[in-house]
This record gives sequence, C-alpha cells and structure tokens, in this order.
Amino acid sequence: MEKMLEIGAKAVNYAQKLGVDEAEIFLYMENFTSVKFVGGVFASRSGAVKGIRGMLVRIAEPWIKKKGIPMITSGIRAGVGIRAVINKAIGFSSVSSLEEKRVLDAVEEAVKIAKVRPPDPNWCSLPEPEKPTHEGGIFDKKISGLDVEEMLQLCVDCCVAAGDFDKKINQAITAVFATSTYFSIVNTRGIEMSDKGTFFSGFVSTKAKSGTEEASSSDFLTSRTFTEDVRSIAISAAQRTMECFGRKPLSKKHVGTVVFENMSWSQLFSTIFAYGISSFNVQENRSILKGKIGKQVAKEDVSIVDDGTLPEGLGTSKIDDEGVPRQKTLIIDKGVLHGFLYDNYSAKREKQESTGNASRRKMFGAAAYANQPKIQPSNLILQPGNSGLESLISEVKDGVLVKGSLIGAFHSNVVTGDFSVTAENVFKIQNGTIVYPLKPCTIAGNFYAALNSIVNLGNDLKSFQNIMCPSVVVEKVVVST
Amino acid sequence: MDKALEHALKIGADFAEVKGEDTVTRSVEAVNKEVRIVSETHNVGIGVRVFYGKGIGFSFSNILDKEKVCSAVETALKIARASARKTLMKFKLAEVEVVEEKKSTKVHLHPRDVALEEKKDLCLRQCETAMAGNKQIANVTSAFKEYYGTIYYSNTEGTKVSYEPLLIGLRITCVAKKGKTIVDAMDYHGGSFGLEVFKEVSRTPEKLAENAAKWAIEKLKAKAAPAGRFEALIDPRLAGVLAHESFGHLSEADFVVIGASPLTGKIDQALGTEMVTIVDEGLPSKGGYSIYFDDEGVPCSRVEILKNGVLSYYLHSRETAKALKMKPTGNARSQDYSFEPIVRMRNTYFDAGDWKPEEALSELKQGIYAVDTAGGQVEDTGNFLFKAVRGYWVENGELKYPLRDVALTGNILELLKNVDAVCNDLEIFSNPFGGCGKMEQRVFVGTGGPHLKVKNVLFGGAR
Repeated sequence: MEKMLEIGAKAVNYAQKLGVDEAEIFLYMENFTSVKFVGGVFASRSGAVKGIRGMLVRIAEPWIKKKGIPMITSGIRAGVGIRAVINKAIGFSSVSSLEEKRVLDAVEEAVKIAKVRPPDPNWCSLPEPEKPTHEGGIFDKKISGLDVEEMLQLCVDCCVAAGDFDKKINQAITAVFATSTYFSIVNTRGIEMSDKGTFFSGFVSTKAKSGTEEASSSDFLTSRTFTEDVRSIAISAAQRTMECFGRKPLSKKHVGTVVFENMSWSQLFSTIFAYGISSFNVQENRSILKGKIGKQVAKEDVSIVDDGTLPEGLGTSKIDDEGVPRQKTLIIDKGVLHGFLYDNYSAKREKQESTGNASRRKMFGAAAYANQPKIQPSNLILQPGNSGLESLISEVKDGVLVKGSLIGAFHSNVVTGDFSVTAENVFKIQNGTIVYPLKPCTIAGNFYAALNSIVNLGNDLKSFQNIMCPSVVVEKVVVST
Repeated sequence: MDKALEHALKIGADFAEVKGEDTVTRSVEAVNKEVRIVSETHNVGIGVRVFYGKGIGFSFSNILDKEKVCSAVETALKIARASARKTLMKFKLAEVEVVEEKKSTKVHLHPRDVALEEKKDLCLRQCETAMAGNKQIANVTSAFKEYYGTIYYSNTEGTKVSYEPLLIGLRITCVAKKGKTIVDAMDYHGGSFGLEVFKEVSRTPEKLAENAAKWAIEKLKAKAAPAGRFEALIDPRLAGVLAHESFGHLSEADFVVIGASPLTGKIDQALGTEMVTIVDEGLPSKGGYSIYFDDEGVPCSRVEILKNGVLSYYLHSRETAKALKMKPTGNARSQDYSFEPIVRMRNTYFDAGDWKPEEALSELKQGIYAVDTAGGQVEDTGNFLFKAVRGYWVENGELKYPLRDVALTGNILELLKNVDAVCNDLEIFSNPFGGCGKMEQRVFVGTGGPHLKVKNVLFGGAR
C-alpha cells in the first residue's frame, strides 16, 4: 500500500503540473478467488451450468465418487480511477494498471475529458483530510493466503452433505468467494490514506425431484473472515428445497398478514430503502422521503442506522471511497426520520457534512477503480425485535410466510416503493402454524406503506452483504398466484 | 507472454495458453445538448489457462511484472492440479494448425487519431437536429462509444497471434410527448469502422437524429397493434436479432453437447425453407464487428449454420469440436483477459436472397411490417417473444398507418419454415453499447439480415 500511495502522490503532482484546480487518485488492488463445484445428476435443461463441462456429469454418481465439475478462477485486479477538476468541470478516467506510465497517461486523459465537459454548478471541492474515528473492518490473514485446494474440498463436502440430506436431492452447486482488497486515496487537498479488508461469501443451491414435482432453493452467507459455516448453509439449502414438496395452490387471493423471512425482506430493504435515503436522490426529487425529516415515516418499533464502523460489517472501512471517515448515521429512530446518507458532492451542495457514504464498489468491488463514487449505505441495519421466527409465526392467525430469494425484487419501483415479486418458497400459516407449502406466488405491496404496517420484528438479525435485517411481519400485503 | 508459457511447461503443465489485452473504451453522452458523461477505461492484463491431467486451471493478473505473471501461471497450475482430483472425466481439445499472424482493420479516421472534441460534437450535432423545430420532442439523448486496442494470444503448441479490434457506434434516442402519451424512438449506426462512416449521406449524425425524431413523432399517433396471426415483413435489424437470439444460441455447441439444444442431432435435416441461409462469421464482407481469431487462437471461419434451409454446422470451441468430432470454428470467446473462453457467436445473420424489398412489400396483402426490437425473451426451446420498436399495418403492399405495442411470439424453428421471401438488402449491425451476455460474460457481436417476408406470425397486440 505504501507503493500505491507513492504512485498516487506522483499522479497528483503530475495533474497539478497539467494545470488542474483539483485532482484525486483512487488506487485499488484486489486478490480474488472464486471456487465453484457442481455435483449431481443433470437435467438437460438445467439453467445452472450450460457448458460443456456439464455434459459428463449426467452419467456419473457424484455422491459416491465425490467428483463433479470444479470451476475455479483466481487472479489480481488492480487499477486507478482519476478525477481531475478544471473550472468546476470533472473529468474521470481509469486504467487497469498500477504501472507509473499508464497511470500518468490516465491522468492526461482525465484532464482532456475535464476540458470537454461543461462546468457543474453544484460542484464545490474535493474532501479535506479528517482523522478516522475507528480501526476499520476486519482483515483476516487466512483469506489473503487461502489455499484453493482447501476451498475446493469445502465445496465438495458441502455438495455431498446437501446430497446426503435427502435422496431426492439430485443436484447441488456450492460456490465460495474469497477477496482481499487494498485501496488508497490521494487528493490535492491533502488526503493521503489507505485501508484494506477481507471478504468471504458462500453460496449453496440445490435441486430435488420427486415424481413429477421439482423444487429448488438456495442459501448463502457473507462474512469478513473465512468460515466453515458454509457447511451449515448446505444443510439449510437442502432443507429449504425439501420443505417445498407437497405444494398446494393458493386457494384465493390473500390480502393481509405476510411474514417475510430476513433474507426475503433484505432484498426489498436494500433495493428500495437504500435508494430513498440517498441525499442525491432526495435532492433530485427522486425520493418519497423528501421533506419528511422529523416526521413519523414508520411504526414506532422501527429503527434504522447506517453504521460504517462495525468491525464485522461487510461495508466497514476506516474511510469511504473519497477518503472521508466512515461513521454511524441515524436514519430512522422509533419511526421518526432523522437524516439521509451523503457523499462529499451532495453534502457540499446543501452545506452539510458528508456521512462517509461514497462508494465505488459494485458487488464485492469488481473493478472498483473504474467507477466514480456514488452514495451507498455502509452497513444498513434494521434493528431487530425480541422474538424468533417461530414465535413471529405463532402469532399469525391467517397469513403467508415468504422465505428465500424474491424474483424481481431488484426491479421494484425505487421511487414510489411499489414492489411485485415472485417467491418460490412460500407457506400457508393458519392459527400460528405452517400448514403446507404453496405453489410460487406473486407478492405485491409498497415498501413505504409496509414500514407503517410492520406489526412485529424478529430477533434473527442476519447479514446479507452490507445489509443487516431480521424477519418482519407486515399487514396489508397482497399475495396472489 | 512467451516467458509465461515457458514457465508453465517448466513447472509441469500439459498445455498452456495466454491471452493478453491492451484496450480502451471511451464514451460520450449528451442529454438535450448538455454533455453529461465522458468516461474512459483502459483495460490491460493477461489471463492464463493451464491443462494438467483431467484438470483445467485459470488465473489472471493486470500487474504485469515478471513475478506476478509467473505467479498467475503457478496459480493456474495449482488450480488445474486441485481440479484434476475432483473432475470426472478429461476434457480434450481438438487439434488445430499452428498459426503465427498479426491482423488489423485499416480505416481512414481511426478513433485513436480523432480528438475527443470532435466526438463530443457528433453528439451535440445530433441533439441540435433532433430538437430543432420539433416541439413534441421532450428529451434527446445522444451517445458515442468506441473500443479499440490489441488482443494477443499464444499457446504452448506454438500458435502466436494478435489483432487490433475496433468498434465504434453513435446512437440517438428521442422521447416525444403529447398530452399523457409518451413514446420513444431510436436510430444508430456502428461497426468496425473509422469515423469517416458518419460522413456517408445516410449515416450522418443529422440524418440519424432526423430519423429518430420523425419516428418518435409518428409513434404519437400510432394505433394499437391487432392481435392474431398475420403475414409479416421483418426489417434487417429485427431479422438480425432473430438470427442471433432465437436461432444462433441454439447452434452453440456447448448447448448441443449436453443435449440442451433442440438442434441436437439434427445435422443434415431441413429446418427451414430453401431460401434461408444463416451465417456466423468473424469477418463479414460488409459491416459488423471484425474478429480475426477467437480466444483459443483459432482463425474465425465462416460457418453456414443453416444452408438453404438445411442444418449444416454448429459453432465450436476446441473442446466442443473434439466432443462432437467436428472442426473448431473459432467461436471460443471471452469478455476480457479475466475470463475463460466459452462458445460465443460473432456476426450472425440471415444471408441475402434475390427479392427486392419493394417486391416483398407489394406481395404483402394484409399484415404487419415489424421494425427493429426493443427487447424480448427467448428460451432454449427456440420459443421467443420480441417487442418490435416500430410497426406498420400493411394492406395491398402499402403502409397504411403506424402501430404501437407490436410483439411477435412463436418458435424459431416454425418461423424458419414460413419464410417465403428473402431480400437482397443485407445489412449487418454492431455497436459497442450492448453486446451479448452468457454465463456472466458480455462480448461484442454483430447481427443482421435482409428484409424477410414470413407467413403466419403470431402477434400479441396490446393484450
């Protein structure tokens, strides 16, 4: 990282020599390993792996031989992203290299781009240096030195464990990803800072067949450290698949209580709410929360924070991707809206302080250097309640339980909060117990209306990348076939 | 790269290949005469694939010092060894001739020699034209994008090739508004060209802008498309998407090998009328995206997938060619150095016939002229749903009025049997804005065809 800071300083000097008002260099490097193992009997039109390496598995019995198709990639991605500012016009360029000559070429390109762009009247200045208030997120040395063979064995074990869970399970895919990242930011206002982090995730999906009925489900985990808990995810994925057998159609449209398991709710929460609390979207009139600070926007039990200082949080770092210290920001306290998330640009536009929420990462930082900073949550947390999922269900007289992934959650209307998703793992609840699984259903509602009709929150807080939330019970949701 | 291959053999690999890349992607976007986005990304790196026993290993790096490159080779071999122990059966590569060659596309105004200012002006000129005097045009977005550089490939068999890819595109979208009706229309042009292409009379930024504005305004008064089975005239852009999305993917041999494609085992069978020929090639004689070698170093050959209605060949990588005892066609491609190659299309199109487009239209007694597509869905059974961008109701060979919500559904294998006129106005389109996605990798492709007349096409209408 010292070498990265050194290149950054040279690039900033060079930009100044070229006559910029301001310049910022974001330097990034990640070491990435992805291990995937496919085991099981292949149905010919399985959408999961459509490659030649799928062909031979159909004739094998991987549960016995413990063999299948490994697919492994490992590599280093590094690069820089440069912002050059001339007369309030911002030029951005990036290069997938840390080589001095290429970095300086990219500086020249950013300057050229700034010169053809119109000034942005809302631009004030790049951030000033500030001391971080905490130690940042966990860096697990085990991840930076992880052995592919160990990861592959873990994947094989998971597929076998899922297959052993029930004879009806005929396919299992396990994937684990381990990433260590390093980044530095140098700008003309004096920021010269670095941070690093490690990330681990595991994913297991299973398919099963019994007679003419087919079912599939998956589970996953994300963590800052290497964890063998992937094994329990394999069992859980298998369990979730087997729960689906004996599905009955929904007898009539249900408008009422729906219990969203934490994983299902996290997808709506991250898609819709994260958009609505971005101050940029508020400023551009794209958020329904505009003008509602100090007002009741959710049930009293609902409290939401964005906390970039939790050591185990996936979105934690000392500084954000512009060099501003990460912090803890109160969003909703007991149902009352407190504030929004800011990066440097949107904060200065309305003479506020940045909340340290500038991010260039997409999913786990793929080519982060090629993106300009945008407002994103660090770790967005919906505070949990007191009861477990079972006890949430026990209080429902007539309702529906939605588990697992929701198809279409990411296509929700982020401005209005309307959602209409398809859920594959759905169950009928009667008098406090799950009575049978339902065929796939459409679940529709409005996220902001739902915040006002949450009647109960679970204690089962779980991390889904940088979103943490418990299961919730919501009234007035529409379930149809 | 030579050192990487030497190192791979030294430490025990059976076979190794290296892909190197040094490319630039640059884009300019203007909204209503204001330049919103100008960005540039330089992509440099190498990817290494190593075979060891039954195992295959892949690794990449974009730090290119000797230490990191050797360590990528070592990682790839480590992965191949670990995989070998858990892999069911050996994957073999078809034999190919050793090639040593360098290729490039010669153009007059290569984008690397043209100032950014001029590219910005292309966008501003488009906005200017589209907004001038058209009160119903509410919003105009113009974008220019370019991709160029060098791709290198070498392997331990001695093949060593490189080529300079080049792709540029200019696109304009106009939104027209009247009362509560909001519609949009688009025109674009692109391919492996120099910027001189936008000086051709029918391709100037002004001409493209005029078209988009005209079509958007025309759509304001379009009537809802009727539902039912009609005769259809399909324009070259929509024909290209049919050739690629609904037919081309079925001919990718990785789908064939696992039996997932409905074309499995159908070589030499007649699937379409005699006038239908569907081609996939790297270097079409006009237009499209020029690809000289695939990412296994195999020269891109011209494949007539469907020849005069008969299924003749599949699209292959070295792996699939070996498995089906056929010849590699140069269809193994990867998004960039950080991905393994998989079977992909290049430029896929319906080949030209001998009808004149006017003749085909005049033969259409009652039906729909469907133009371009704004998306849709395809299944690996050949079923498709495409929403046309524009459509016209045709009676006795005359365009009567514009239609909105024109959607075609059906199965490509049935559609091919209903083609009764193939015109002589073949065009091949490509641009750097989109591309084809498969298994998380996106690559640039070309698609095209001439006007096609098809019987008995199911239109969804505004249901």
